[in-house]
Amino acid sequence: MSGVEQRVSTVRFVKQRSGIVLAIVAAAVMLGGCARNAPQDTFQPAGENARRINNLQLPVFIIAGVVFAIVLGMVLFIVVRYRDRGQEMPKQTHGKPALEIVLTIIPAIILIGVGIPTVSTVFSLAKTSDTQCVINVTGQQWWWEYEYPVQTCGGVNIAEPIVTSGELVLPTKVHVLLRITSNDVIHSYWIPKLNGKRDAVPGRIHPLRMEADQPGIYAGQCTEFCGLSHARMRMDAVGLYIADFATWVANQLQLAPKPTDAMALSGEDTFRTQCSRCHQVNGLMEENADGTNSDKPVISFPDLYVVAGNAPNLTNLMTRTTFAGATWDLLNDQCRKALHDASPDKFGALYLKGVTPDCFNEADLREWIRNAPAKKPMYSSEAQKAQNGGKYRGMPNLNLTDNQIDEIIAYLLERK
Amino acid sequence: MAIIERPSTVPALAGGGAPQFVTPSSSYGVFRRPVSSTGWRSWLFTVDHKKLGLMYGGAAMFFFLVGGVEALLIRTQLAAPDNTLLSASLYNQLFTMHATTMIFLFVMPVTTGFANYLVPLQIGARDVAFPRLNAFGFWCFLFGGIFLNTSWFLGGAADGGWFMYQPNANALFSPSHGVDFWSLGLQITGIASLTGALNLIVTILNMRAPGMTLMKMPIFTWMVLVVQFLLVFAIPVITVALFLLMFQRVFGAQFFNVDAGADPLLWQHLFWIFGHPEVYILILPSFGIVSEVLPVFSRKPLFGYKFVVFSGAAIGFIGWGVWAHHMFASGLGPVSVAVFSVSTMLIAIPTGVKIVNWTLTMWGGKLRFTTAMLFAIGLIVEFTIGGLSGVTHSVSPSDTQQTDTYYIVAHFHYVLFGGAVFGIFAGFYYWWPKVFGKMLSETLGKWNFWLMVIGMNLTFGPMHILGLQGQPRRMVVYPEKLTGEGFFNLHFWNTVASVGSYILATGILMFLINVLHTARKGAKAPLDPWDARSLEWLTASPPKAHNFDVIPHVHALDEYFHLKYEEVDTDAGPRLVKVKTAEELLAEQEANADEHIHMPSPSYWPMIVAIALPIIAYGIIFSKVLAVAGGAILLLGMFAWSLEPSVADDSDYDPPQGGAPSKELASV
Repeated sequence: MSGVEQRVSTVRFVKQRSGIVLAIVAAAVMLGGCARNAPQDTFQPAGENARRINNLQLPVFIIAGVVFAIVLGMVLFIVVRYRDRGQEMPKQTHGKPALEIVLTIIPAIILIGVGIPTVSTVFSLAKTSDTQCVINVTGQQWWWEYEYPVQTCGGVNIAEPIVTSGELVLPTKVHVLLRITSNDVIHSYWIPKLNGKRDAVPGRIHPLRMEADQPGIYAGQCTEFCGLSHARMRMDAVGLYIADFATWVANQLQLAPKPTDAMALSGEDTFRTQCSRCHQVNGLMEENADGTNSDKPVISFPDLYVVAGNAPNLTNLMTRTTFAGATWDLLNDQCRKALHDASPDKFGALYLKGVTPDCFNEADLREWIRNAPAKKPMYSSEAQKAQNGGKYRGMPNLNLTDNQIDEIIAYLLERK
Repeated sequence: MAIIERPSTVPALAGGGAPQFVTPSSSYGVFRRPVSSTGWRSWLFTVDHKKLGLMYGGAAMFFFLVGGVEALLIRTQLAAPDNTLLSASLYNQLFTMHATTMIFLFVMPVTTGFANYLVPLQIGARDVAFPRLNAFGFWCFLFGGIFLNTSWFLGGAADGGWFMYQPNANALFSPSHGVDFWSLGLQITGIASLTGALNLIVTILNMRAPGMTLMKMPIFTWMVLVVQFLLVFAIPVITVALFLLMFQRVFGAQFFNVDAGADPLLWQHLFWIFGHPEVYILILPSFGIVSEVLPVFSRKPLFGYKFVVFSGAAIGFIGWGVWAHHMFASGLGPVSVAVFSVSTMLIAIPTGVKIVNWTLTMWGGKLRFTTAMLFAIGLIVEFTIGGLSGVTHSVSPSDTQQTDTYYIVAHFHYVLFGGAVFGIFAGFYYWWPKVFGKMLSETLGKWNFWLMVIGMNLTFGPMHILGLQGQPRRMVVYPEKLTGEGFFNLHFWNTVASVGSYILATGILMFLINVLHTARKGAKAPLDPWDARSLEWLTASPPKAHNFDVIPHVHALDEYFHLKYEEVDTDAGPRLVKVKTAEELLAEQEANADEHIHMPSPSYWPMIVAIALPIIAYGIIFSKVLAVAGGAILLLGMFAWSLEPSVADDSDYDPPQGGAPSKELASV
């Protein structure tokens, strides 16, 4: 084979290879657009800030792909072209400074091209001056609490503070500002389709802007390593049209009524003795000797029992679709799927129905109430309690009887 | 200085210039001074940079296997969703110790091993500047590493992640002694890094052969020099952080206690001001190795030597101004985030310079695809992937989506496995014949290389997908119902990554088989198997105890190559002609050997002082009495060390040197 033929075949070979690489990159990008039912895909923004990030990262990924294709192509070309075929010892050149300078300036120019939009996006993501709603977000081992202070949130009046957990309910197309902090260790709040993540640091309050374009459920999870059950500290953001959001707010502010069902009524007793030291239910009252409500509300005091000083408020548990750090479903698979697949227009009504008895996933909740630390690793055995300075981290095993569990489930099923 | 020259009062050693080995016999002080030149004692009490280099390498490879088993357990757990193989507690310990082991007990010491072994040889010296300090450093590393790993058997290993963020790693949230072992163990290995760094800096700056100006220094030595400066400044920072952590946990200090008014971000700043230069501490030695390997197997000098040197130094400098890119999500505020975004992008420029120079070194060359060369080319390609994914998250808004996901895991494994580890393996294959005088099998080497390349891309490649699909790191389980559908299904790609990890492990097994095979049946290496370019190839293989019979005078970069080749004018223009063989050059050395070569004597004290440190550390955790006992050993050891001359008395030798009580001594 002559030198010229050799070179031609080499060039062809390299062209074919870089073609393959480009094809792979292109295929990956295309498939990336088609990832189905991918709840935490970072390339499927569903809110303004996530879109800003996506618009920035897409071209950067493409530039990186092209640069890699060039480097790989060069290396493959050199490997084929300059392999030892018995040619003479090459000239001992020590480099060409002019070429080096050019090859230093080119990446510098590319990086300036990347750097300018990066800086401008950093500042546009940090903008909070047009906030229309504020939600306080507090992380603790291993769940998130949301507090809606008194305000007008996207036009909806919130007359009293709302405290909920697991699901961050947002009015759609409203600039919501999360004020994020932590009660114990560092956590990180992340709903990939709505925005990047922001750490929840004890003693500090970090702002993070969220907007959801459409009603729906947006999955997320804690992304700063926070100890034993870090993998089971999830959260969902739920977008609702403003009208639906107003309905949700009104419902959250209602006090829990006295149960009517006999089982649930016994459950209220059991809840009062077994659960209410840590878990608040707004509207739950101390009982008089005759079984009627007194006018004295039952106030939880989890700071005496739990390191984080907090436990989820269960007033409206069954308006949420998950429990225990958004890790397990309150909805059975069928109803869960129907809710997640609902069109934006039908989603709100379905979500506001809450967990109905025919949709209720009893199995997981029953296991949880029977022995929580067996389902989710926590520091809540008596031995661990001693190590924790006499407090639990997470929910202990309450050693409840089957009957007590039945009663509590009946009681909780009415919390909506 | 280790090499002590005094006027000779004894007759010249016999043997045509080859130094004679003599054995001291009489006792020194209370203890007999160790003087064995053979057997296990010669290793235990050695101060020889080559033996210490090998011990660094061997111990680091042991920890590499420990860290590898931890990695395989992690990947096995994640092979399927909702897996119950490992408990959350054990999983947290495994990923903490995997990272800690691979960084502090494998990559750092193995590259220190390379530096220890090769730097004196590359600069034409006979040992390092402070040989006993060198031995002390090795024992600190080994004992610190063993101490750290005994935590597995003493109540559980550290479980706070290698970054050990506060307050999650304080005594309330991590009640086992694991984090105490971690903070104390890393303080001990930190002493090793610090003493080693000072030693190598003094060695490189003061002990180069005559004529070797800084810009004629081999590129590996240059990169080692940059790394030692990084260590000198970075190790104190982590030591301060570890010290605060130890006081917080053991003595109830309040440095990171939020209730007492502390800001836990203080820890993050301290950790990453160390942690980011640490990345360059891990990668630059490998950059140095491939910068030696590529020219040799391309038969060309390194393209743009000065650019490679200065870009290495630039990486070293800029590396100090980028730490907060590990904290883009931690709530620093937009101004800091923007500044650190830009500074992080800046560091891509000198790194890119290196990729360009390596590629252009091969351009126009005459490439021989030995295993060492394959690993070096592998590094160029794999590291480029890691570098480019690094650029994607220097874009801080994107990083807030990617940080703490598997995308980051993919990124730094391409950098540290595709970069640092590939460089280390290139170094193994390249210098094995020099160090052991035997050739590693090229056939097994190719298996080693290709299984590692395929394995690492199958393991870490899919992690890009996993991370961009939103799978976070440090998760003991991921639920089946959230794995998605279609091409990007998380279950599928996790399984691929786990299968890849086994292929990768098989590749590393091939290396171990190769080592055993070579030790038993390996072919004797020629003196200069690769037609190399730098001074370490001028001496015998394995090198003589005193490295060089005569200290070479250096005239050029790639001195050894220029000793062998000369440019001769022919009718067809100038051509390179081999004028001398390696054998002839070695014979010249031996013929002109120095009459008296004085090498430092072995010593008990570095090891004794070093072993006091883990005893104190166990004492801090378990018993004050033990700590006091360790302290006593430490003080006595330091006292004895300071009284011990760096070389043995003549009266210690048998036969006595010169018969008279002279101060002359011989090589050990």
